[in-house]
Amino acid sequence: MITEEFPPVSDTVEDAAPVEACTKCTACNTVCPVAQATDIFRGPKALGPEAERFRSPQEPAVTAGLDLCSGCKLCEVTCPSQVTIQGYIRRAQNKGARERGRTLRDWVLGHTRLLGRLGSLTAPLANLGNRTPVFRLLLERVVGIHRNRPLPRYQWQTFERWHRRHPPAAGARRKVAYFYGCWVNYNERRLGEMVVLILERNGIEVVVPKQQCCGIPAVVNANMDLARRYGEQNVRLLTPVAEQMDIVASSTSCGLTLKHDYAHLMDIPGSQTLGSRVYDICEYLWMLHEKGELNLDFETVQMRVLYHAPCHLKSHGMGYPAMRLLRLVPGVTVEEVDEGCCGISGTFGVKVEKYDLSMKIGSRLFAAVKAAGSDAVLADCETCRMQVEHGAGATSTHPVEILARAYGQTETGVRATRTPVR
Amino acid sequence: MKADIAVVGSGLAALTAARAIQQAGRTVTLVWPGLSSLYFLYATIDVLGYADAGTRDAIVDPGDGVARLIAAHPDHPYAKAGSASLAQGTALVLAWLAEAGLTWKGSLSHNYLLPTALGTPKPSCLVPSTMVAGDLRHPEPIVLCGFKGYQDFAPELAAANLLRAWPGGGTVRAVRIAAPGFVADRLFTSIDLARAFEEPGFRADVAVQLRPHLRADGARIGLPAVLGLRRTPEVHADLEAALGHPIFEIPTVPPSVLALRLFDRLRKQLQESGVEMIWAAPAHAAQVEGGRCTRIALKAPGREQPVEARAYVLALEDWVDGALRAGVHHLRDPFFNTLIAEHALPIDRTADSMFSPQPVRRLGYRVTQRLQPADASGAPLAENVFVAGGAMAGYDPAGTKSRGGMAIATGYRAAQEACAA
Repeated sequence: MITEEFPPVSDTVEDAAPVEACTKCTACNTVCPVAQATDIFRGPKALGPEAERFRSPQEPAVTAGLDLCSGCKLCEVTCPSQVTIQGYIRRAQNKGARERGRTLRDWVLGHTRLLGRLGSLTAPLANLGNRTPVFRLLLERVVGIHRNRPLPRYQWQTFERWHRRHPPAAGARRKVAYFYGCWVNYNERRLGEMVVLILERNGIEVVVPKQQCCGIPAVVNANMDLARRYGEQNVRLLTPVAEQMDIVASSTSCGLTLKHDYAHLMDIPGSQTLGSRVYDICEYLWMLHEKGELNLDFETVQMRVLYHAPCHLKSHGMGYPAMRLLRLVPGVTVEEVDEGCCGISGTFGVKVEKYDLSMKIGSRLFAAVKAAGSDAVLADCETCRMQVEHGAGATSTHPVEILARAYGQTETGVRATRTPVR
Repeated sequence: MKADIAVVGSGLAALTAARAIQQAGRTVTLVWPGLSSLYFLYATIDVLGYADAGTRDAIVDPGDGVARLIAAHPDHPYAKAGSASLAQGTALVLAWLAEAGLTWKGSLSHNYLLPTALGTPKPSCLVPSTMVAGDLRHPEPIVLCGFKGYQDFAPELAAANLLRAWPGGGTVRAVRIAAPGFVADRLFTSIDLARAFEEPGFRADVAVQLRPHLRADGARIGLPAVLGLRRTPEVHADLEAALGHPIFEIPTVPPSVLALRLFDRLRKQLQESGVEMIWAAPAHAAQVEGGRCTRIALKAPGREQPVEARAYVLALEDWVDGALRAGVHHLRDPFFNTLIAEHALPIDRTADSMFSPQPVRRLGYRVTQRLQPADASGAPLAENVFVAGGAMAGYDPAGTKSRGGMAIATGYRAAQEACAA
């Protein structure tokens, strides 16, 4: 009998050999922003499930072209069969880098927290340097950071330091922990302040636990070994917190890494407890609203804003909670700019050989933003905001800024500390 | 997540249902497991091409064909959806396509007969206007044009088959030209060509190469469906004007440019009109209390995310988007874990020849007269859940060329039922 050749517990072919779930429908290639912009990229189907069939743990990694994958994950969002395309690409890339070594540039870009700490300690100097053409030329030649890419401004006062001096809210009915990430800590403290304020306005005390970089910059820079170390530290530091309370993140990609990638990309044991308690800030606020607990005492905010949904947001499987929240605020007109990936993909568009590609990927979005005109372009992801400001010349901010204004925090205005240099 | 009605799926049935529910004034959350064949495979909306999967007599009048099918098989999903759902659903979709700026042609009263990429005549009901000139019910000669290095359309093969299979008979010639800018060893797809066709210079070059192959015999030119992604009407009109001959598109294997144009526009329209879409979250596990479904679970990153609605439309398509889970001996559905089919051997699901009607195609949810998923005794598994599209039992969408019409009729009917539930 043929049937006896199958192990009795086997459920489906896909469970036994996940790569076989790929039916080669090509939906991933069609949606891939990089494949749309350049014909030298062979696309996620070839580099993920197809190449995976030729990869064996004993042999050198098959990696040609993998660095052109920007890690936006739209391929996985699109896949009708839930093939873990990014997993195949990133693991192979990491193995290749381990075998052949990593470039200085990719090593540096993977160490966001180290970079942030140095930048923040030397803030005036670092910011001046980042605006100085000679220094940028040197940075391009020696390290490989494109000279035209505006680099984020570093802040002397970190979010951590600000929060230590911030008086705890009185009479809170519950506690929530905040995963602020490197960006809020070193580059945009104001966003963290707004998150704290909004949660406090909802009777929630914000706890700021000790934390490490989420690891995603290392993942996309072919350094999953480092990302895994970071992840393990976070799992150790934050699991006891997650056992007590929910954790919110204000960066789309950090949140996704904690929720999903620790368990499914980096295979960090015991990371599920942490992942299951992590919420995107807007997702969390919307959840409060559905329970009837969101403070709706909003002031009118007369603004016409555009909303750009970051690619990684689409991987969260939660729709666009920011859009839903913004519709609750009186006076705000919000419209989605539905023109796909902005092109920067974290550190991808910073690199000298990828800057032009990154701008080409974003060109449709830039044109739409320019044509529509608005008071601000809202995006949940920090590098999307950098790219929109650079490419479309528009003001860009996190959606929570509108909520902060609706709660009466108008004194700092939209153009706060977030604006990149140049 | 809460909504009046949750629709699961991203195919034509799901989109039709979402549109109909929204027009009825309810809030809709559309939950996607990933994209469906509407994104990479669709070309035309076929209502009924053949009365059953075994026959080769193409149906001329699909509206009439469905009426006969309903009379002969009262258990067919078309009978359960009702011919009124097909008529009203088709009207809704045609109006929607026009509103979305897509020019489609056709009506329930006749089928076009259009050549496939292999040169077989295929009956189709609603088609993009750029395909209409290929109608084989007309006798004008045909020139089929392919591109060197493009692997998804072989004009020589299509022409040879079409010469044999064209019912009225006619003249068919094949030509192959170079796709300017696409060098010999570059692997390219329909999508790459479609993007290139949006450039006027590329089109002009194609026209220059094609002109010597045309004679003053009123021939029409068949090209693979690559005439632009966003500016198709302009690309099509421009090329017809340059050549002075009618031009028609022929659907290709995935990625299908025709599907992409259709899906992108309809998806954007729904999103702009306020339909909440949740990407990348396969739904499963319906929780049933007192005969009603109270929630379904989304496999979101980190945790299962509940979706609560007053009614649910399950509009998944088939195996590809997870409508059914196939084990070695058992087929189950992911929402109720109900047994869809049981086989002693997995090969019992398939026919001896790959060209024969496949038993597996007819498998799917048993449904009640109101399209609720049913258990083996025919009783509903949940009062407020309704099934639409490819995952229904009792018909063969590919063999009868009825996938699109079924999606529309059942999607529309399920939407009506969900609004009433």
